[in-house]
Amino acid sequence: MQGLLRGLVYGGLIITVLMTATAWGMWLERKLAARMQSRIGPNVVGKFGLLQPVADLMKLLQKEEIYPIGADRLLFDLAPFLVTTFAIATAAVVPFSAEAVGADLDVGLLWVLALGGLMVIPVWMAGWASNNKFALIGGMRAVAQSISYGVPLVLTSLVAVVFTGTMSLSGIVKFQIEHGWLALWPPGPGVVAFVLFYMALLAESNRIPFDIPEAESELVAGITTEYTGMKFGLLYVGEYVHTMVGSAIAAVIFLGGWDGPFHIASGLHWMVIKTVALFASVYWVRWSLLRFRSDQLMRLCWLYLVPVSLGLVVFAALWRHFVLR
Amino acid sequence: MGYLLDSIRALGVTAKNIGRKPVTVQFPKVIRERQERYRTSFALLKDEQGEERCVGCLACERICPSQIIHMSSTKKESPVTGKKRGYLDDFTLDMTACIFCELCVQVCPFDAIVMLKVPHEPGYVREDLVLTMAKLYENAEKPLTWGNGTKLMEMQEPPKPAPAQAAAPVPAPAAAPVPAAVPVPAAAPAPAPVPVPASAAAAEPAKTEAP
Ligand code: SF4
Ligand code: SF4
Repeated sequence: MQGLLRGLVYGGLIITVLMTATAWGMWLERKLAARMQSRIGPNVVGKFGLLQPVADLMKLLQKEEIYPIGADRLLFDLAPFLVTTFAIATAAVVPFSAEAVGADLDVGLLWVLALGGLMVIPVWMAGWASNNKFALIGGMRAVAQSISYGVPLVLTSLVAVVFTGTMSLSGIVKFQIEHGWLALWPPGPGVVAFVLFYMALLAESNRIPFDIPEAESELVAGITTEYTGMKFGLLYVGEYVHTMVGSAIAAVIFLGGWDGPFHIASGLHWMVIKTVALFASVYWVRWSLLRFRSDQLMRLCWLYLVPVSLGLVVFAALWRHFVLR
Repeated sequence: MGYLLDSIRALGVTAKNIGRKPVTVQFPKVIRERQERYRTSFALLKDEQGEERCVGCLACERICPSQIIHMSSTKKESPVTGKKRGYLDDFTLDMTACIFCELCVQVCPFDAIVMLKVPHEPGYVREDLVLTMAKLYENAEKPLTWGNGTKLMEMQEPPKPAPAQAAAPVPAPAAAPVPAAVPVPAAAPAPAPVPVPASAAAAEPAKTEAP
C-alpha cells in the first residue's frame, strides 16, 4: 500500500515536472533557434514570451479533431497517447540526485532502452493509421531508423554497463563519482562512446541531422501529417520529452549524473544543468546542420557507428578485466 | 570528413549568431519608413469643387487582372459645371484578390482612383477586406502615394527628344536614341514592363467623353 502511494506521488511529481520542463524546453528551443538566426523569438506572450507554451496549448486544445477518410480510428487515437506515455515512463528511473529518483530499478538502463525501443510501435501505428502516404513513408523511415540506431545506442550503453558492472542508473553514477566520469575517463574511448551515444540519441528522437522520418521538404510532416489539435500536441510533446529524457540519460551514463566537476557541490542542480545543456545542444545541432539522405543515414549507422561501438564494448571488457580488477 | 568539418563550422556560425543583435523589426510597435513605391489600399478622390472625380468609365474595371472592381453608374447633370456626366451608384474593390499591380490607378483618365501609403487594417471577416464606395471616399483623408493616372501615364510615354520638356520625372532609359517621330509606344525601348495601359488610356478617354 505504501509502495503504491509512493508510486503515485512520485509519478505525479515526475509527470508534472517533466511536462513543465518540456514546455519551457520548447520555449528555450524557439528562443535559441531565433537567436541563431538573428531573430528575437517569442516575446509577446508574457515576459520574454515565457507564456508561449501555455498559449500554444490553448491553441491546440481549441483545434478541431479531424479523422482522415479510411483512417484506423482506434490506432489513430491510441498512437499519440502511447508515444507520450512511453516517453514519460522512461523518466521514472532517471536518478536526478541520490534521493530524487522515482524507481531505482537495478535494471534501470534496460528499462530505458526497452521503452525507447518500444517507441517504434506507436510511431508506426500513427503512420499506418493515418491512411496517408506521407505519414506511411514517415512511419516506415522512423521504424528503419529507430531499429538501426537502436543498435549503437544499446552498444554504447553497454560500454557503460561493462565499465561499471551495473545496470542500475544510480549505480552507474555512484561508480562515476568514485572513478571519474565515463566521458572523460578512461580518456579517449569514453568520449567516443559519449559522442556515439549522443548521435544515436539524436537519431532515436528524430532530430536533425537524422530527421528523415519527418523531412518537411519531402514528407510534409511525416507521421504527424494528419494529426490535429491535442493529438498532434501529444506527438509533439512526446518527441520533446523523449529528447529531454534522452539528454538526462546521457548525462547520467556519461557525464556523472548529479556529481559536480571535481565533486564540487554535487546535487540535483548539476543534473539539471547537464540535462538542459545537452537538451540545448541537441537544438544547437538541429538548427545548424543539414539532413542526411536515407542511404547516408543507414551507411553511417551500419558501417561506422555499429563497428566502432562494438570495438568500444570489447575495449571496455578488456579494461575492466585488466585494469579495474 | 568534409561533412564533419563543415558541420563544426556550421555550429560555429550559429553559436556566433547567438551573441549578435537580432535584426527583427517588431512590426506593429516599430514601423519602418515606407519605401517610395509602398502602396496598399485604395481611395477615390473628389476634385477641388467637391465633385466626385470618378465618372464610371469602367477603364479600371476592365484592366484589372484580378477582375475585382465592380461598379455601376448613371448619367446626371453636374451641379458644378452643368454638363452631363456619369456618377457612380456603386463601386466595390475586393482587396482579397488584389495583386497591387496599380494598373487601375494607371489607366484612370480622371485621376480618380489612387492608392494609400498606409497599410490596410487587417479584418476579422472577409467583408472587412472589401472596399465599398463609402470606404473608398473615406480613405481619401489618409496619406496617399505619389502616383495617379496622369503621373503614371507620363512615365509610360516614349522619351521625348526636346530637353526643355522635362515632363517625365523618371530618367529616360540610357539607350533611347529613338527619334520622337516613332509614334508606336511598343516599339520604343519603353521603361514600361506593361504595354497594355498605353493603348488602354489612349482609347478609354475618347470612349467616355464621346457621350
Ligand atoms: S491594383 Fe491591380 S489587381 Fe488591384 S484592383 Fe487595381 S488593377 Fe486590380
Ligand atoms: S478609371 Fe477612374 S474614372 Fe474610370 S471608373 Fe475607374 S476610377 Fe472611375
